[in-house]
Amino acid sequence: MIHIKDISYRYPDNTLAIDSLSLNINKGEFVAIAGKNGCGKSTLLRHMNGLLLPCQGSVVVNGMDTSDPSSLMDIRRTAGMVFQDPGSQFIGMTVEEDVAFGPENLGLSQREINERVDLSLQNVGMEGYRYHTPRSLSGGQKQKVALASVLAMKPDIILFDEVTSMLDPCSRKDILSLIENLHENGTTVVYVTHHLEELVHADRLVVMENGRIVHDGHPREILSRNDPEQFGSDLPPVIELARRLADSGLIPADPSSFPLSRAELREVLCRSK
Amino acid sequence: MNDLFMSFVPGDSVLHRLDPRTKIIGLMLVSFCILDASSFADMFFIALVFTVLVLSCRLPLGHFVRSVRPMLFFFAILFLMQLFFTEGREVWHFSSLSVTYEGLLLGTTITLRFVFLLLFAALITATTSPSRITSGIERLLRPLPLRYVGITSHDMAMMMSLSIYFVPMFYDSFTSLREAQISRGLDIRKEPVKAIFSIVVPLVSGSVRRVEEVALAMESRCYQSTGRSSMHEMKFTGKDHVSFAMFVFLILFLTVL
Repeated sequence: MIHIKDISYRYPDNTLAIDSLSLNINKGEFVAIAGKNGCGKSTLLRHMNGLLLPCQGSVVVNGMDTSDPSSLMDIRRTAGMVFQDPGSQFIGMTVEEDVAFGPENLGLSQREINERVDLSLQNVGMEGYRYHTPRSLSGGQKQKVALASVLAMKPDIILFDEVTSMLDPCSRKDILSLIENLHENGTTVVYVTHHLEELVHADRLVVMENGRIVHDGHPREILSRNDPEQFGSDLPPVIELARRLADSGLIPADPSSFPLSRAELREVLCRSK
Repeated sequence: MNDLFMSFVPGDSVLHRLDPRTKIIGLMLVSFCILDASSFADMFFIALVFTVLVLSCRLPLGHFVRSVRPMLFFFAILFLMQLFFTEGREVWHFSSLSVTYEGLLLGTTITLRFVFLLLFAALITATTSPSRITSGIERLLRPLPLRYVGITSHDMAMMMSLSIYFVPMFYDSFTSLREAQISRGLDIRKEPVKAIFSIVVPLVSGSVRRVEEVALAMESRCYQSTGRSSMHEMKFTGKDHVSFAMFVFLILFLTVL
């Protein structure tokens, strides 16, 4: 679905953000990308829908090369992006106008636009806020509208750039459950985050450092043994506890059964009795 | 911040439901009438039309007072300039300044013209959402050969829409910055120059960053200046035709008057 081959990217101030990086993302995968601040996570994500073009190498999305200007519209329709700050991604005066912005750009008929707006707002549970101004919404509601705006373009891939970093725990839970539903319904998800407890549902975890990939595998394998320093965040208490229990021999040290959530830890402990 | 200068007031009146193009063309025609009005009888008739429209929309009068208030200083200057610098029959004088009958008449007429222009513009913005205004302007500009100057009607409409969109955003940023600087000990009254720099510099840099983010969001959602469609239906109905007839009647009536 997304084939990234040996790309490098330098910002205009000559900072090397991506350094000879290759990555393949398959259809229907939930890939999480973690790493310290400034490691190139967001820069990599912006390459995946052609907002940034690599200085070298290639990015191919659904068979379309991002370096081909004639494919950019199709690439952006295929790979929608939800940004970190929900307040800075609104273009419409009202929620419905903002959600309609993408379908309007695709030149769809008025009926099709209205149908897509209805469906997208229903999918994120914001149909009651159709005529509200985005400014009047809470952070979580804004992020839901931002997601609806992307869903209205019917993308096959959705790129999430630290979408929960400005939200309270309750809103974070809501957004994560929406993302999980999308993934279950076949959408390919690429999810950049600092919160390691959000990786439970990911099929793959990619850890970046200095513009390169240092780990690529299942979150269980990576979180069960690597230095948390590399993830740019502390280990969640459940994983920290599981690692200590595994070190003490109280639960199996096998990465394939390493617990990532409270429920999984309870299950492993019950089995180890 | 919910009721900004010239802001939209949601409603379901006849004026709210009219096609935005009818209202824009109507505003232009009414503006010609206002600029042509020279007698108090004309002004009275325009005031009557405005009052009937406001009452039919069930809009609060306070909204229109708030629309005129920021311009009061300008209106006062305009009135005083005409009052003191128009030659004619003197009715009062002080030192080298003299008030003439013609000055009083001209000052009142010109000031009322500007007040009515502003009030009718406020009536249109109060009954039409900014996006419908820009859609209407886009549809009106579409037949013009703008492509020869390297711009499209969609570009024009988007520029207008974003300009309107950024006003409350800048106001929010300004309020946050002012509060942040006051909480760090800035005394705006004692140090006005320092206050301007400490608020304006971060406001401008923050706004540039915000504009870049919005541009990125637009790009990622496939923004293009050609081939766009709109969710707003633009269709002239019977109400629009009746409105046009009323505008024509208004012009004829004022011309005859």
